[in-house]
Amino acid sequence: MRRFVSQGGFWVGALAVIAVALPLLVSSTFAIDIFIRILLFAFIGVAWNLMGGYAKQLSLGHAAYFGLGAYTSTILLIRYGVSPWIGMLAGGIVAMLASLPIGALCFRLRGPYFAIATIATAQVLMLLFLKFRDFAWGAEGTTMPNLGDAPLMMQFDSKAPYYYVVLVLLAVGLAITYWIERSWMGYYLVAVGEDEDAAEAIGVDALRIKRNIYLISAFLTALAGTFYVQYIYFIDPNTAFSFNVSVEAALVSIVGGIGTLWGPVIGTVLLEGTSALLQSWLGGGHGGVQLTVYSLILIAVILYRPAGLIGILTAAYDRVIAGTKRANKSAAP
Amino acid sequence: MATTWNSTLAKRRNRRDFLKKSTGAVALAAFGIARKAFAAEPVNIGGLYPVTGSFAQIGQGCVNAAKLAVQMVNEAGGIKSLGGAPLNLIVSDVQSDTTVTRTETDRLINAYKLSAIHGCFASALTLIASEVAERAKMPLLTGSSSDQLNKNRRYTFTPFSRASQFAEAQLQMSRLVSDSPKVAVIFENTAFGTSTSNGLREQASGQGVEVVMFEPYSAGLTDASPLINKVRASGANMLFPVSYLNDLILIIRAIKQNGLEIAINGGSGGFVIPDFYKNVGSVGEGLLGVAHWNHDVNADALKVNENYKKQYGEFLFEYAGGLVAQTFMIADALERAASTDPQKVRDALSTLDVSSGYAAMGPGGKVKFGPNGKNIYAHPVGVQWQHGDLATVFPKEDARAPLLKT
Amino acid sequence: MLTTIAQAVVNGLLIGGIYALVSIGVTLIFGVVKIVNFAQGEFVMIGMYISFFLATSFGIDPLIALVISMLALFFIGVLLQHFLIRRVLALGDMPQIFLTFALSLLLVNIALLLFTANYRTVQTAYSETAIHVGAINVPLAKLIAFAVAMLLSGLLWMFLHGTDLGKAMRAASQNRDVAMLMGINPDRVYCVAVGVALALAGAAGSLLMPFYPAYPLVGQNFVLMAFVAVVLGTLGNITGALIASLMMGVAESLGIQFVGADSGLIVVFGMLLLTLALRPNGLFGGWSR
Repeated sequence: MRRFVSQGGFWVGALAVIAVALPLLVSSTFAIDIFIRILLFAFIGVAWNLMGGYAKQLSLGHAAYFGLGAYTSTILLIRYGVSPWIGMLAGGIVAMLASLPIGALCFRLRGPYFAIATIATAQVLMLLFLKFRDFAWGAEGTTMPNLGDAPLMMQFDSKAPYYYVVLVLLAVGLAITYWIERSWMGYYLVAVGEDEDAAEAIGVDALRIKRNIYLISAFLTALAGTFYVQYIYFIDPNTAFSFNVSVEAALVSIVGGIGTLWGPVIGTVLLEGTSALLQSWLGGGHGGVQLTVYSLILIAVILYRPAGLIGILTAAYDRVIAGTKRANKSAAP
Repeated sequence: MATTWNSTLAKRRNRRDFLKKSTGAVALAAFGIARKAFAAEPVNIGGLYPVTGSFAQIGQGCVNAAKLAVQMVNEAGGIKSLGGAPLNLIVSDVQSDTTVTRTETDRLINAYKLSAIHGCFASALTLIASEVAERAKMPLLTGSSSDQLNKNRRYTFTPFSRASQFAEAQLQMSRLVSDSPKVAVIFENTAFGTSTSNGLREQASGQGVEVVMFEPYSAGLTDASPLINKVRASGANMLFPVSYLNDLILIIRAIKQNGLEIAINGGSGGFVIPDFYKNVGSVGEGLLGVAHWNHDVNADALKVNENYKKQYGEFLFEYAGGLVAQTFMIADALERAASTDPQKVRDALSTLDVSSGYAAMGPGGKVKFGPNGKNIYAHPVGVQWQHGDLATVFPKEDARAPLLKT
Repeated sequence: MLTTIAQAVVNGLLIGGIYALVSIGVTLIFGVVKIVNFAQGEFVMIGMYISFFLATSFGIDPLIALVISMLALFFIGVLLQHFLIRRVLALGDMPQIFLTFALSLLLVNIALLLFTANYRTVQTAYSETAIHVGAINVPLAKLIAFAVAMLLSGLLWMFLHGTDLGKAMRAASQNRDVAMLMGINPDRVYCVAVGVALALAGAAGSLLMPFYPAYPLVGQNFVLMAFVAVVLGTLGNITGALIASLMMGVAESLGIQFVGADSGLIVVFGMLLLTLALRPNGLFGGWSR
């Protein structure tokens, strides 16, 4: 039994069971809303982490794909009556296509140049969508048609189904990350991330690797975009291409543990959880209190746990394992 | 060990003392409660406003007014049909952010037993709150002007004029200043800017006004001079800027700095708040605008304005005054519904028909909602900055001060 | 038409001067300390509030308050480097960026708590006057801001190239280890660099006060442009930042005039992306990397 507990798989399984059971155990819809946000931003973080964590391409413009996904599915829904499930995939494809020229431009840039260029691309898209109103409603944005309970059109009248949808998305993201981590692509990714020139020197086609991972990252981020606008019933350029989305995607990965499988999840739980708690305690009309506290926490984490919180959890986990191993040893004759 | 025992003893002693002292207090309180036993449970209403972020300044003013309004309702005896139940306002900061608005509207509706909500000042935010409220079947009152708020909704009520009506008023007012108005419309790229300016463009020719420039601009200007340069080149003799305060300040000052002689109708939004005048100073004197509510509209408005001014040191601005009226509309609905159930409140709102009291202190003095949540009597008023205060000057029936010629 | 273009160019140059002050600060910090300061705009905001309070409480003109705000922000900069930035220097790009990002969030909200969201303006004798050069309007307050900005940039250049400390800073930015071997104390150099950069931000704030309202979020309007200028002019290159800022001011102004009032930023970003496509290290290639 103890040896079973020390297997990583057990914990993942337990987590999965809890995750699935959560909406049934918790009745507060506000709590479920927080969980949905946590799962969604964890998913966005996981998508970002592929690029930013493993390949160390620190993009601050992922909102571009988030927005493209969101707008594609919305345009297909409202103008052509296409179900957002299909629209979601279409959005993913649009995002992948967009990632090609953006990547072509940005991958030649290093460090902060890359970051600023990605910010610029997301901003340009936002400005374009603000400008061209006839196509995509411009600054006013649009709300999703109220279809009541329409599962086939990604609209539900209770929160739990949204929760499960985004849970599945996160599971898919984690599975992809897990699979990539252990594949040849994963090794090349890390090599490129650690030292691109050295990797190139031993024959790794860095550009191709970066392009491929960008395709996947963009695709997944776009799925998140569709889900998000379906959930909040609204889209406008500022929301869809929001710089905050780009920042949060990177932030949760960094706080949780960049380049690790569970990092983004842990980071999101901390950041979104704290933010939600602060909002409900302090967010009652005293301008600035909750964000001040939130930013102080952020600074504290960055100063004292820069490797991300996953360091703490790994250490705790290791201690538990060491504990059970010792127990096993002393139990044996 | 001994120390633990001693401290336990000490704890026990302290507990006994505490109990002795507190029993007295509890008894007193119980007596008080027993006396108030007839008083009913408070009725919860929600207020969603941007207290932080880009609309923070107006949001804070709205929250102040919301609290004042609830105070006024309660001092007048609360909801009599519910045994004098007081209103309890639950405020939430939506941080000028659409996501937060979505979450907070949800949270308020689900965490508290609300009977109605009001908010959120900025049309972009209200649209989201309205969607959530619609699906949660919670009545929402708002002064936000976007015409979209009246489409396909049963739970959103807009007691004041719509963006399209603002546009009409602005155009009519331009005829007061010039016989052949050539208007430049510059508007910020937000829901507020686009909906208002659309109204202007659609109705211009019908009102005999020529639009010579129609340009959206990116909100958050670092410099208004390039915009003004363009306005000058367009040959306009009148400018309609549709904007929130920060850009408006820059625009007005840039006009002065660049020596551009042009009549201005600042519309609504950032133009009709005290801070506007405080920040542009005498340059703002005589400038025209439109508003869905003003503090000189009738005697009730003047009274509330006095109250507000005493507490907060500046006059009660458009949106804030409007939401005081909205609070009284909610109180009226609660009174007639004799229930805190949101569905009954919604139904009571849909049959609201007032022409006196604080609930009716808007332009026109009457509130009655049509099937799409619009107040059939709502219309905007034209306002003018006169001696540092905002006076209503248009239309004739609503004018409280003569139009100053500049 | 010619007048319109000329006026647009003048407008662009004048605001470009302010962008320059902000972007030079960012590029200086990046060049020497190798960290991207996302909170630079908030230090401009602090400079504005300092000038505002000096003006309203003591009647001090913002241009004189400039000296005080520069000194105050220099001091803040030294503290910032010594107590905060120093601790994340070894950590790598992202934690550093997020530290300054979190700092930005913190400063905005503290300002909101302390000063409320109300807009604060200062009216000076020259706030609304303009000089007329032919048919061109040159608002006086902006002209002064431009002139002072250029002056400060010039002084900075002289400092970096003419004084020992300045040369030590350049040395540390080119190669920190060798500089240490040569006896240069990197922490001291960094403190000065951050102090100077923040002082420039403070100067920008004071210069803006006569014609721009102060409020907690004000810094964010300038920061994006500043960052684009920094990258365009090559990170770490001060002259580059200056030239890029002016170029961007003009491009934005012309973009607004001829493409569309909402297209100023699109033009600027377009310029940025085009430049990076052709020159991945900014216009001025390599000075420090």
